[in-house]
Amino acid sequence: MGEVIVVTSGKGGVGKTTTSANIGTGLAAAGHKVVLVDTDIGLRNLDVVMGLENRIVYDLVDVTSGNCRLKQALIKDKRFPNLFLLPAAQTKDKTAVNPEQMRLLAAELKEEFDYAIIDCPAGIEQGFRNAIAGADRAIVVCTPEVSAVRDADRIIGLLEAAELRNPKLIINRIRPAMVKRGDMMDITDILDILAVDLIGVVPEDESIVISTNRGEPAVMDQASQAGEAYRRITSRIQGEEVPLMNLDVPKGIMERMKSLFGLR
Amino acid sequence: MTRAEHVALKGTREGLVLYLDPTADFEVLMKELDKLLKDSVQFLQGASVRCYAGQKEYTEDEHARLETVLREQHLELAGWLTSEEVYVPGKSQSQTTEDKETRLGEEGMMEGSCLFVERTLRSGKSVQFDGHVVVLGDVNPGAEIIATGNIAVLGSLRGVAHAGATGERNATVSAYYLAPTQLRIADLVTRGPEDEADGRGPEIARIKDDQLIVEAAGMNGWRGKAR
Repeated sequence: MGEVIVVTSGKGGVGKTTTSANIGTGLAAAGHKVVLVDTDIGLRNLDVVMGLENRIVYDLVDVTSGNCRLKQALIKDKRFPNLFLLPAAQTKDKTAVNPEQMRLLAAELKEEFDYAIIDCPAGIEQGFRNAIAGADRAIVVCTPEVSAVRDADRIIGLLEAAELRNPKLIINRIRPAMVKRGDMMDITDILDILAVDLIGVVPEDESIVISTNRGEPAVMDQASQAGEAYRRITSRIQGEEVPLMNLDVPKGIMERMKSLFGLR
Repeated sequence: MTRAEHVALKGTREGLVLYLDPTADFEVLMKELDKLLKDSVQFLQGASVRCYAGQKEYTEDEHARLETVLREQHLELAGWLTSEEVYVPGKSQSQTTEDKETRLGEEGMMEGSCLFVERTLRSGKSVQFDGHVVVLGDVNPGAEIIATGNIAVLGSLRGVAHAGATGERNATVSAYYLAPTQLRIADLVTRGPEDEADGRGPEIARIKDDQLIVEAAGMNGWRGKAR
């Protein structure tokens, strides 16, 4: 019996899809049988981030409305034979699926897979309600901006109302240098308001842009800082205790010289 | 303790008050008082008592006897109260409501129905209640509380709070950390502080001279951040 985890945020553009792709790929790399479900009907992205766009024949709406069997719609990943994608429909909208259908689908996916990662659309309307309907756990993605924190707070409230208690928080796109200067909210500021468990902090990283454009999740890139953060998050999802990444700003040459001579 | 028919001793904020039935015979009063005091002598020793007997005037002799009885039990007769100064159930209805109102005016709103919210109020959540509201958690930005009475938050208040929503100007808003987006009491509205100063401790907001003011909640034992 597997587990269904919804990745949500309320606000758009904070990295739900990137997070879903990386967590799913990370879990598959660890040997689990994983399915990624894109519930952003009408604005599908997860297939692009995974580099699987050109393989789509059937989609989520085809499955829930009975046009095809679940197996027919699942797309096998390029890198891992144990990773699958159930893409969203692009030509329909959120009302094409209802929460009850999603619950049935989630139950079916749990039979087959160790983990089902559901990529939730932005907003709190039908798309959100569909995405959380069949979930066992929730991961909330938030960036260090007041607006994103506000929306994450709302989402956590809605998740709790839907009996999805104790969601885990990922703080995405943090810039340690800006935090150090006091120009960006730091982790404690965010946790002070949201008061939920932190499952990972992902630094802002150019390699994410590159990997997204290439359709290769950063979690596979050993040189990527964000990839390392996602690897740690993946471990934590599997129940391991991993320390948070050291996000200290690397010192410049002058500072290193000074510390060498004991000036600082 | 035996319940006396014509005398009653009650504790109030201002001290002990001895109620004497104005219609009763003085001898009966003395007998009952003697018994009442003997029964409760341990915890009354050394206290001062004020008496109330409605409009009735006692003779000097009776006065002296009353004082003697009290002194025998180490109680001091501190004075007499008028009808305006005590609360008597037998008073006419209009008088009691008036009394109650003046009491509310003096102390803020001390009594009434109360809603306990046993969790943090997150953005988008609204609580409306006819009475007082106590939140056992935080009130986050984007959440609001509207109460006809007082609001107390045992965590951080960062959302919108409206106390005394139906016009009660003596309502208060208090919080362990008071930094609301907006604070309203009755018909007055104010914005929260622009700078987030940490470690100010519990604070209470109330209306004073038509102004919404915030002051440290009077907790003497509070020292720094006690977490």
